[in-house]
Amino acid sequence: MSAHLVIAPIIVPLLVAALQLLAGERRRRTAVALSLASCLALVAVATTLLLAAARQGDGGALTAVYRIGDWPARFGIVLVADRLSTLMLLLTAVVALATLPAALGRWQHRGNYFQPLFQFLLMGLNGAFLTGDLFNLFVFFEVTLAASYGLALHGSGVRRVSAGLHYIVVNLTASMLFLLGVSLIFGVTGTLNMAALAELIPNVPAHTRALLHAGAAILGVAFLIKTAMWPLGFWLPRTYAAAAPAVAAMFALMTKLGIYVLLRLSLLLFGNGAGPASGGFGTDWLLWGGIATIGAGAIGMLGARDLGKLAGYNVVISSGTLLGALGLQQTAVTVGALAYLVISTLALAAFFLVAGLLAPEDDEEKADDALVLEPYDPVEAMGRGDSLFADEDESRVVIPAPMVMLGVSFFACAVLLSGLPPLSGFLAKFALLAPMLDGHVRPGATVLFALTIAAGFCTVIAMCRAGIQIFWTDPERPFPQARVTEVGAIVLLLGLCLVLTVVAKTPLDYLGDTAHQLHAPEHYIRAVLSPLAEPRP
Amino acid sequence: MPSLILCLPFLASILVYALRSHGRNVAVGLLVGTALVGLLLSLYLYPALAAGSVPHQTFTWAPSLGLDFSLRVDGFSWLFMLLICGIGMLVGIYARYYMPADDPLTRLCALLLAFMGSMLGIVMSGNVIQLVFFWELTSLTSFLLIGYWHHGASARDGARMALIVTAGGGLCLLAGMLLLGHIVGSYDLDTILAAGALIRAHPWYTPTLILILLGALTKSAQFPFHFWLPQAMSAPTPVSAYLHSATMVKAGVFLLLRFWPVLAGTDEWLWLVGGTGLVTLVMGAWTAIFQQDLKGLLAYSTISNLGLITMLAGLGSTLGVVAAIFHIVNHATFKASLFMAAGAVDHETGTRDLRQLGGLRRFMPITATLALVAGAAMAGVPLLNGFLSKEMFFAEAVAARNGAALDAIPAVLAVAASAFAVTYSLRFVRDVFFGSVSTTMPRQPHEPPRSMRVPIGLLALACLLVGVLPNQVIGPALHAAASAVLGAQMPVYSLAIWHGWNAPLQMSIAATIAGCVLYLALHRRLRRTDNTPLLGVLSGKRMFERTLTVFGADLPNWLLVHCFPTRRLQTQLLLIVLCALLAGGLAANSAPFARTPHWASIDPAFALLWLLGAACAIGAATLAKFHRLAALVMAGGAGLVSCVSFVWLSAPDLAATQLLVEVVTTILILLGLRWLPKRIEGISPDGPLTRTKRYRDLLVALVAGTGVASLAYAAMMHPVADSISRYFLEHAFTDGGGHNVVNVILVDFRGFDTMGEISVLAIVALTVFALLRRFRPAAESIDAPQRQRRRITEAAAAERQTDHSLIDYLVIPGLIIQLMSPVILLFGIHLFLRGHDLPGGGFVAGLTVAVALILLYMARGARWVEAHLRVLPLRWIGVGLLLAVGTGLGSLVAGHPFLTSHLFLPELPLLGQLPLASAMLFDLGVFCLVVGATTLMLIALAHQSLRRTRAAAAAAEET
Amino acid sequence: MELVLAIAIGVLITSGTWLLLRPRTFQVIIGLTLISYAVNLFIFAIGGLRTGADPVLHAVAGDLAQYADPLPQALVLTAIVIGFATTALFLVVLLASRGLTGNDHVDGADGTP
Repeated sequence: MSAHLVIAPIIVPLLVAALQLLAGERRRRTAVALSLASCLALVAVATTLLLAAARQGDGGALTAVYRIGDWPARFGIVLVADRLSTLMLLLTAVVALATLPAALGRWQHRGNYFQPLFQFLLMGLNGAFLTGDLFNLFVFFEVTLAASYGLALHGSGVRRVSAGLHYIVVNLTASMLFLLGVSLIFGVTGTLNMAALAELIPNVPAHTRALLHAGAAILGVAFLIKTAMWPLGFWLPRTYAAAAPAVAAMFALMTKLGIYVLLRLSLLLFGNGAGPASGGFGTDWLLWGGIATIGAGAIGMLGARDLGKLAGYNVVISSGTLLGALGLQQTAVTVGALAYLVISTLALAAFFLVAGLLAPEDDEEKADDALVLEPYDPVEAMGRGDSLFADEDESRVVIPAPMVMLGVSFFACAVLLSGLPPLSGFLAKFALLAPMLDGHVRPGATVLFALTIAAGFCTVIAMCRAGIQIFWTDPERPFPQARVTEVGAIVLLLGLCLVLTVVAKTPLDYLGDTAHQLHAPEHYIRAVLSPLAEPRP
Repeated sequence: MPSLILCLPFLASILVYALRSHGRNVAVGLLVGTALVGLLLSLYLYPALAAGSVPHQTFTWAPSLGLDFSLRVDGFSWLFMLLICGIGMLVGIYARYYMPADDPLTRLCALLLAFMGSMLGIVMSGNVIQLVFFWELTSLTSFLLIGYWHHGASARDGARMALIVTAGGGLCLLAGMLLLGHIVGSYDLDTILAAGALIRAHPWYTPTLILILLGALTKSAQFPFHFWLPQAMSAPTPVSAYLHSATMVKAGVFLLLRFWPVLAGTDEWLWLVGGTGLVTLVMGAWTAIFQQDLKGLLAYSTISNLGLITMLAGLGSTLGVVAAIFHIVNHATFKASLFMAAGAVDHETGTRDLRQLGGLRRFMPITATLALVAGAAMAGVPLLNGFLSKEMFFAEAVAARNGAALDAIPAVLAVAASAFAVTYSLRFVRDVFFGSVSTTMPRQPHEPPRSMRVPIGLLALACLLVGVLPNQVIGPALHAAASAVLGAQMPVYSLAIWHGWNAPLQMSIAATIAGCVLYLALHRRLRRTDNTPLLGVLSGKRMFERTLTVFGADLPNWLLVHCFPTRRLQTQLLLIVLCALLAGGLAANSAPFARTPHWASIDPAFALLWLLGAACAIGAATLAKFHRLAALVMAGGAGLVSCVSFVWLSAPDLAATQLLVEVVTTILILLGLRWLPKRIEGISPDGPLTRTKRYRDLLVALVAGTGVASLAYAAMMHPVADSISRYFLEHAFTDGGGHNVVNVILVDFRGFDTMGEISVLAIVALTVFALLRRFRPAAESIDAPQRQRRRITEAAAAERQTDHSLIDYLVIPGLIIQLMSPVILLFGIHLFLRGHDLPGGGFVAGLTVAVALILLYMARGARWVEAHLRVLPLRWIGVGLLLAVGTGLGSLVAGHPFLTSHLFLPELPLLGQLPLASAMLFDLGVFCLVVGATTLMLIALAHQSLRRTRAAAAAAEET
Repeated sequence: MELVLAIAIGVLITSGTWLLLRPRTFQVIIGLTLISYAVNLFIFAIGGLRTGADPVLHAVAGDLAQYADPLPQALVLTAIVIGFATTALFLVVLLASRGLTGNDHVDGADGTP
């Protein structure tokens, strides 16, 4: 049965969502219980998978490959749970576990179907992290996006809707590009399986290689839009700032999905094994694009006037840093990038939650409710009394979050994001920066090095300004109401970052192995296409 | 042992917070106790050090990054540990009585302990990255301590300035250390200290040096970064005494001396470090004279003293290093005691303004005496420690003469600076404690409590002892420290008070006299003037503030508002399209690209068909703005054409699906159209800008179209040799049990895609529904179309009427549809059943049924339908999902992977044996879900009109 | 055949893109619809065009020579469904924004027409 564990991260949220739909909006308790159960299960599953992946020999030959429908890997759809995928799974599960309780407060009452949408989002993310098939990746991207549309619009209101409109149009365009790219690649290689692609690319005939590259480039643009690379990412800060805090916290993870795919594909398809004609394809673009993104993010962060935007531009900066690191294509840098990815995701999620607690209670929603006409309710209209009105759940424990608590969390976030000690942000920055100078230093590398440090400085300035203004300027500021769950979520995320500072060895070793596995794709290919992966007769 | 010394403060800091309810004595007790224990432990280490061994401790931290957490205590760090713990203890005692009684002191003590720990970390680090780690920690703690009284604006600004300057410097330091580590190939301090020659020879030496200096000079408040220190004086006095005179600001010079063996000895070093030191020395001393705030005066004198130390380090002579270390200790002692004295004055009189103070010795004789001693030490009066280190300094300044022109300048400036020092010391002591009793003091002063005097006394005593018996008191420690830095090249030096009638002595006599004269000359107008002559104009503070506001806030904000199209979708989309074009174009031309103009036999009919299609597309494009309905129809036309070409190209499944999707989409948009605002052509004439924009977009669109078209053509011209599709054709029936390969792929080979796809459908349905529950039509589209308005005026039976109104217009078609819809339903079922073998399948079937339903709605109106048959879309969706997933999970029971399909060959009556794949069950799930999702969306939208009329009705009833 | 289809795709993309860059939400939705038509055709065309081929197996197994390439069709089907869903969603969001902001400009604020 453990062999089937790989499918669980996708199926569990899906089942939970379906059950929540059948249970109906009324049984909110049931829905919440189901969601929590699913998140806990996901954490457990992800941990198991990660441990299994960690046990793999460095050959990576034992990478867990799951052939859906029992078809041979080349032709069916496979799920691959190697070190990187399981890492992302665990990250997702943890962030979800942290943000879900935070959403239990006021936010889930601001609209319908928060819980199922949340589960669908998890399903999409996990699927995208696991799948080893290019088109299936598209499908799961769409699942993720659809769910994210729903969540971004959760709560309605002018700000969300008009930001959501942009978000949707931009991503629809990106999806079109995605399809174009995938179909071109398929047209050239005749396969959709990533491992098979990696196998075929070196000996693609010269006259179709141009098509292959065109496809890859278009595909890349689609991903870069999602990672908000300059100048494709202007939509991000506004959308994230408008979304509900818990949602935004999850979105902080979603940009990392794009990073994940770029990391995976650029190293698998256009890594060392791709031959002279295609090897290292597009890496310069990633490098310089990342650099530009950091710059844009820094400007935005310094210029941002509200906390949500500030957090949004922090997301941009972290995307830029990761893209640049990707562009360098050095194993050691990749290790640092992975560390930075994990830490910045946790920190950003926490920061969005903190920002949500500090933001003045926007009564926009209530205003809408007042203006909405007689609410439509098909189920009611269809003769069943199952009203869909969001009724307040009575089991809310409200504690006036002491400003101290919030202040400490804010301080911790600032420290993490600017890469100052004592939290793990410093280690991550160091792990990322130190190897940039090794080997023969590319001109871009030094720029990236300098800019990463400069971005840290800008973060210090911006966060310091914001923090002083919020916590020090007016002591008479009313205590924001925060529920135990909301505070707990923040504590969980930040505590994790603290732990990762102290026990750095084991995680870093794992990341090191991951990076090596990524930079030696032949193991991945062998694992997926090996006879072991063929169906038993 | 070292680790214990390091950990204690942090643990204590946590403990303080944990015991916050136990009052201030506990907090202070913890602070003092920890410091005392640290002091004792450090002293306990001395024998080992004296024996020449260097206690080491290493813990694995992140070995894969070459980072170990290593602690090493040599004489130099040991001396600093004594300072940190010793002065920390005194400050603790002092703070207990200095701080206002209502302050629980929890935060202060916790922060001070944390700072103590970080400071110890800096001096004990055996690893440069770890050093930076603690370095930044001190910046953060100092930020929090400066902002301790954050209700005051000055405290906030001071804290921010300090953080930005020192943390920025810290980041530079990090960069510098990374470079250093790269040059040496290790971050281990000992390794680096051993690699001096290598480093100085390396091409990266200069950038490395500059970065490290940026770190050190910002921390030690050296020109031009000195301005943060006076601002930091808004911190509580204990903090100023501890951080901003005794310890933290010394971290910079600590770093300079720590890396002296590897970095010093080059011209860059001499000019950068020595020059900065000299400038800071003079500038600080001169400015100090003109301060009116006691602490301000002390702050500038600190800056100047740090400049002195820096200059000594910069000279590059080993004796200079000894002098520097010596002066670090001396300055720490007398300056800390002076700060405490200033605090005592402030505490008793309620003011720190020199102009309001005077003659205090009548009220607080003891404090006055102590301050006198310390002040004398600061002025460099013989028999006090300040005198000794000043002598050494003069000796170095003289020794630095190398016979070049103007080489006397350092010596002359040194004398001038110490003259200024005499002046401000005089001013501090005399204006406050002597002279006539001031009448402008806010409070009537008297001696401060004993335990405020004790720390001052101890420090003053130290000044005296060191001054009188240097060899016995400080000699061994100084030797240990200096030899730790200099190692083999340890010079011979003597700490005697009397070196004979030599240049240094003459210089200090001259300086003292000059200082007194200057004081007598100035002290009248000192009480009046408010800004510093000569230097008053260039205020680093103001410049910093301005730079920060301009480059840190205003400029970025302007860029953000004017250059970032965050609110302009069109710009964003244009950028995306351009990027895609650029990327695709460049890549497509990256490799040789065989364009074979292959004029295949063009089927004229097909060409004609697409002529129509193209016409439709262009028509839609042109009409979409003013004639929405027409545009919709046109777009539909284009869709139809592509359906036809699917049939043409033998893909009936596609055709069917596309057609149905077409229909449903059109219905949806039709339902939505009425909510959009009317747009009449020619109301708003376009400006030239708009027109040019339009042409630009047209151009972009043309390029995009051509690009994609050529890509498509090229792809079609080069069909791939061997696609995996072959496998599907071969195994569709044998293993998939279906003749319709496409459908088999959808439900079996790639059933997983389908599962994701239906989830998307479900999600979207939910979102649409959730959104429409809060839908709010715009004001002008709320009132009904003319047809219905007539009836709504008779408000009473608005609802019935609306339904009638619909029915009236659709009586006959309504009837027909009503009769037809069961047929359509049947047809849907049929499509579903045959799906596996003939064109059709769950999705198409589902759409068909949904269409049937919506037709019924149109014909009969929502009320009627919902009264007659009960559709529960959500249930359909849920069940569909469960069915699909359940089918997939079924195979797990049989031990096969998810979604493995099973083939049954049941004997059915009449039909005989027919192959049934479990995939059909999956397809059933798809069917249910599609029905549910589509209906949900359609009726959700359709109901908006009902809401409108209901609302109108309600409104009418009110009237 | 191929040429015609390629040109057709080009025309659809062109008009779609042009609409995509227009300021009115309705124009954008129509544009997206056109683009998705084009993309579907594109995916389908990748598999190579066959007229008069049989869509359904009659033998136990077939080869690409006499059958239309099934895989691209399957992909297109998935793409169509997803496109349909997202278009519907976009439509509703468009209406909602129209309702909340009071106009049908993509940026909510009525700028240049």
